[in-house]
Amino acid sequence: MENMINYNPSFAEEVFRDVDYGDEIKMCMNCGVCAGSCPLREHMDYPPRQIFGLIRAGKREEVLSSKAIMLCTSCYTCVVKCPRNIPVMDVMHGLAHYALKQGYVPRKDTANFGKEFWNQVYKLGRIDEKDLPRRVFFAGGLLEGIKAMLNFMDIGLKLMLHRRMKLLPEKKIKGVKLLQKMLDKAEGLGKGGAAA
Amino acid sequence: MKYFLYWGCSLEGTGANFLVSLKPSCEALGMEFEEIEDWNCCGASVSYAGANDLAIKVLNARNLAIAEAEADYDVVAPCSSCYIQMVKVNHEIQEDPTLLKEVNECLAEGGLNYKGGIKVRHIQDVLYNDVGVDKIKAKVVKPLNGLKVAGYVGCQSVRPYGEYDSVNKPIVQDCLLEALGAEAVPFPNKIRCCGSGIFLPEIDYCMGLVKDILEDALNHGAELISTVCPMCAMNLEMYQGRINDAYGTDFDVPIVYLTQLMAVAFGMDLKKDAALNYNVIPPEGILKAAIG
Repeated sequence: MENMINYNPSFAEEVFRDVDYGDEIKMCMNCGVCAGSCPLREHMDYPPRQIFGLIRAGKREEVLSSKAIMLCTSCYTCVVKCPRNIPVMDVMHGLAHYALKQGYVPRKDTANFGKEFWNQVYKLGRIDEKDLPRRVFFAGGLLEGIKAMLNFMDIGLKLMLHRRMKLLPEKKIKGVKLLQKMLDKAEGLGKGGAAA
Repeated sequence: MKYFLYWGCSLEGTGANFLVSLKPSCEALGMEFEEIEDWNCCGASVSYAGANDLAIKVLNARNLAIAEAEADYDVVAPCSSCYIQMVKVNHEIQEDPTLLKEVNECLAEGGLNYKGGIKVRHIQDVLYNDVGVDKIKAKVVKPLNGLKVAGYVGCQSVRPYGEYDSVNKPIVQDCLLEALGAEAVPFPNKIRCCGSGIFLPEIDYCMGLVKDILEDALNHGAELISTVCPMCAMNLEMYQGRINDAYGTDFDVPIVYLTQLMAVAFGMDLKKDAALNYNVIPPEGILKAAIG
């Protein structure tokens, strides 16, 4: 009876409804091939298989604050290996997006990096490769930013000396205003959940 | 052979040696390229932090719609992330008419429409299937004379769809390397991930991935490692010093793009065409010794 009491389908329903690719986990048979194939598995608190189990068990807090959902390198190995054809990677991305929207921060640096990345895409239509790390470094405050800048300065300088860094700031694409209208529409029309 | 070349953000910056070497070496093989007018970023792997899935699809569909309206050439994406982002959107749109409708509803905000008719291809696919190994061999005037190269395929250039090569045992890059006269050394970590777009924010976890790849390639006799992805190239080349500090290794192995090796083997200028001076770990010595 204990399991019956602890089992709570409301979070699973929330995931199926509001998370991009969330309904795909219905097919999961908990075999663990996703975990076995993941390059960063050893650093995860819960492997994908367990995340899916926790969703079914209604463990909302554990899932949305799990660092595992933001440790995806997007290598598609789990997608290729899953015997049930679940796009595991997409589910993890969907969960990470949803967690951030709900105010959770599963991985601070990767979250800052991803958010700044998208901000640039939205503002410019392109990525400014030298501005992106700078913004990410300083997201945690001035002191932390200076420390990170100094830490990675050697790599930046080498890239610059070898002509692998654009010196001028990236310009906006011509159609950026229209692009933003398209993306705003998609934000409203798609899944992913409203901010909490 | 005309194509749209969608080179993306990285190939203008950290992956500049890819674009600089790709243009002359591929044009020498009869390929002609056109830029997609006013293209935007593909959103790569980490955009999910800020955008929902539909927005990322619309982002890519915009480029495809602009290309489709202009001509019916295939889109060639050299960057693996750009490639997989566009291929994925195309696949999902083609399988799901409701999704296509939704995407077009968003594109309409900017006066665009996508029918789903563009084919997106990786540069390895085009070199292997359109140009062909024989034509590449015929262009070689300075063969790499058995230089041992580890062709690092990585992830997103073959996974998940395996459109032109096996997702488990890819061979296309090795065939292209051998056409240039190199010896493609087999190594099991050929398709293991380098950390890709989250290498920088998760450097402590991802250095181990790159260490394993480098170690594996060198243990199998590689003198050089070739790649077809700006993230792979960046992660494998730029952090070798950091990895040496962390693991007590002594890596100092040049990482080159396949197209740089093509330009070298085609007898082109080592700087202007092969862009060897863009590499931070210099490959000139090894390559000059190989071509004699």
